[in-house]
Amino acid sequence: MKTFNPDAMGEKLLRRFAGGTSRRGILARLGLALVAAPVFPVLPVSRASAAKPDRSPEAKTTFARNAQSKDDTKCDYWRYCAIDGSLCSCCGGAVNRCPPGAEHSPVSWVGTCINPDDGRAYLIAYRDCCGKAYCAKCNCDGTDRETQLYVPQLNNDVIWCFGTTSMEYHCSTAVLVGTA
Amino acid sequence: MMKVQRKSSLSARARHSAAAVCALALLGSANIARASDPLPSDPELEAVTLSAPKPSWVFVERGFVVPGNAIYDTDTGKMLGMVEASTLSDLSIDPAGKAYYVSESIWTKGWRGTRQDMITVYDSATLKLKNEIAIPGRILIGGRKFNFVLADEGKTAYVYNLDPASSVNVVDLVKGKFVKKIELAGCASLMPVTGVGFSALCSDGSLATVKVAAAKPEITRSAPFFSATNDPIFDNFGYDGAKQQAVFLTYTGQVFTAKLGATPTISEPFSIQAAAGVSPADTKPLDVHWYPGARQGLAYHLGTGHAYVLMHTGEYWTHKEPGTEIWDLDVAAKKVVRRIPLEHPASAIAITQEANPKLVLSTERGEDGPSALLILDAKTGEQKFMLENSGGGVMRTLEP
Repeated sequence: MKTFNPDAMGEKLLRRFAGGTSRRGILARLGLALVAAPVFPVLPVSRASAAKPDRSPEAKTTFARNAQSKDDTKCDYWRYCAIDGSLCSCCGGAVNRCPPGAEHSPVSWVGTCINPDDGRAYLIAYRDCCGKAYCAKCNCDGTDRETQLYVPQLNNDVIWCFGTTSMEYHCSTAVLVGTA
Repeated sequence: MMKVQRKSSLSARARHSAAAVCALALLGSANIARASDPLPSDPELEAVTLSAPKPSWVFVERGFVVPGNAIYDTDTGKMLGMVEASTLSDLSIDPAGKAYYVSESIWTKGWRGTRQDMITVYDSATLKLKNEIAIPGRILIGGRKFNFVLADEGKTAYVYNLDPASSVNVVDLVKGKFVKKIELAGCASLMPVTGVGFSALCSDGSLATVKVAAAKPEITRSAPFFSATNDPIFDNFGYDGAKQQAVFLTYTGQVFTAKLGATPTISEPFSIQAAAGVSPADTKPLDVHWYPGARQGLAYHLGTGHAYVLMHTGEYWTHKEPGTEIWDLDVAAKKVVRRIPLEHPASAIAITQEANPKLVLSTERGEDGPSALLILDAKTGEQKFMLENSGGGVMRTLEP
C-alpha cells in the first residue's frame, strides 16, 4: 500500500512548478526560488507511515462523499477539499487563475482531493492571489487532511503570498498538480 | 461631583440676588440649573484612561479583516477600549500590567512599499503608542495564541516567523531591541520555558526545546509522541507558565500533558471522550463521534487545572467546526465533570483566570451573520452577558 507522504507531495509540486517555468522566468525569480526551495524538501516533515485513504465511497471523508465536479464557484467543488478563503472563481478569476491585477503566489499549501468522476486522488496546490483587498465572496473552508502551523504546507490559515509584489491576500485558487 | 455641589450652592444664593444672576449670566460660566436653560457645554475633551489590566478583562481579536483588539470587562459586559493593531497581528499583555505589545507588519504605502515588522508598545493606561521595536520578520496568519509570547516575566519576547522558512525572533523588551534570530525548521507554536528559552511543537511529532542563551542556540527534540499529519495537536493549546506545564489536545480528542523544562516529559495520552463516558473517537471515515474543534477550541483555567473544550459531533477532519457543547475536563482527574450545551455554536473559547472564572465564547450565528460574544459563569454555565457584534478571532485573558 502506498503511504501518505507530504515530502513526496512537496517534491511533486516543486517539480511541476519547475517544469512549467521558463529558464528566463527562473532567472528573473531567482530570489523567489531561493525563498521557495526550502519549503518542502528540507523541512523535517513526518516520515511516519500513515495509511493512504482507500478510495472506496465508504472510505471517503464527508467532503469527498458530497463533492461535485460541475460548479467551481461552490464550496463543495471537489478541488476545494482543503481550501480556505474566498474562491477566485467568484472574484473575477477562475479555479486556477487570479482575478485581473492580482498576482499568483508561487508557493502554496497543498491538499489531496478525490475527483468524484474518476475516483482518483489528486494533488491540489492552493495558490493564493495577492495584491488586492480580501475579496470576501464565496468563503470556503475545506479541512480534509488540513493540519496545524508546525506543518505549514498542510495548513490553510497561513497567508501564502510569499514572493509576490504585495502580501495582501485577495482570494485562493485550486491548481491541479497531478495524481497524488 | 464636587463641581456639581458648588454649582447648586451658587444657584441657591443666586435666587436672592438678581444682580448676582446677571453677573453670572454675563460671565457665562455658571450654568445655573433651571428647566428653561440650555444644557451646559461639555468640558474640554479628554480621552478616558484605563487601570492596569484586570483578570476579568478579555481581549478579542476582531477578525480577519477588522483590525484591533477590543477589551471587554466580563464583570460588566462593557467594552473598555481597543488596543490598536494592524490586521494579522498578535497581542501580548505585559505581566507587570504597564504595556500591551502588538507584533505586527505594516508597509510604508498601505500594502505597498517597504515592509516593516515590529513589536509596537502601547501604554496600558492611555493605550497610546510608546515605542516601536523593529524585528526582521514574522508570520502573517493571526488567530493564534502562541506565535508571539512573552518570557522572563515580560522581559523577553519570542516572535514566530515563516518566510516561508521557519524561525523565531528573540527580542529584549527592556532594552527595546531585537536580539537574534533562531532557525527552527519544522516546528511552531511557542511555549516559554523558564531559564531555558522555549519549546515548540514539530512536524515529526516531537516537542523541540531551544536553549536561547547559548551563543549557538541548542535545539533538542523529544521522542515523537503524536502524528502531525494523522492526528495533529491543535496549536491553540493550554499553557501554564508558572507550573511550566502544557495541555495538548489532538483532533481525535487525545489529551497529553507536558512538563516543560530543559528535558520535557510528556504524559501518556487519554481520550476526552472516554473521560466523558462516551466512545473514544478515531480517524476513520463514516464514524460519527464527538470531536474537539473550532479555531480556538480549548481554554485552560490555571487555578483549577480544568480545560474547557469546544466539542461537536461529526466525522474526522471536521476540526474547524464550531462547538455545540463545552466539555469541562478536569485534566488531572481525567474526567469530564460537566457538559454545557450551546444555543449558538462557538468558534472560540477563552476563560478568565479568576477564582470564580468566566468563560467567553465567540459565537457563529449564520454564515455571514453577526457574531456575538457570550460570557458564562464557568462553574454553572449560566449566561451573564450576550454582546452583539462583538465576536471575532482569538481571545486572550490576563494570566498570573
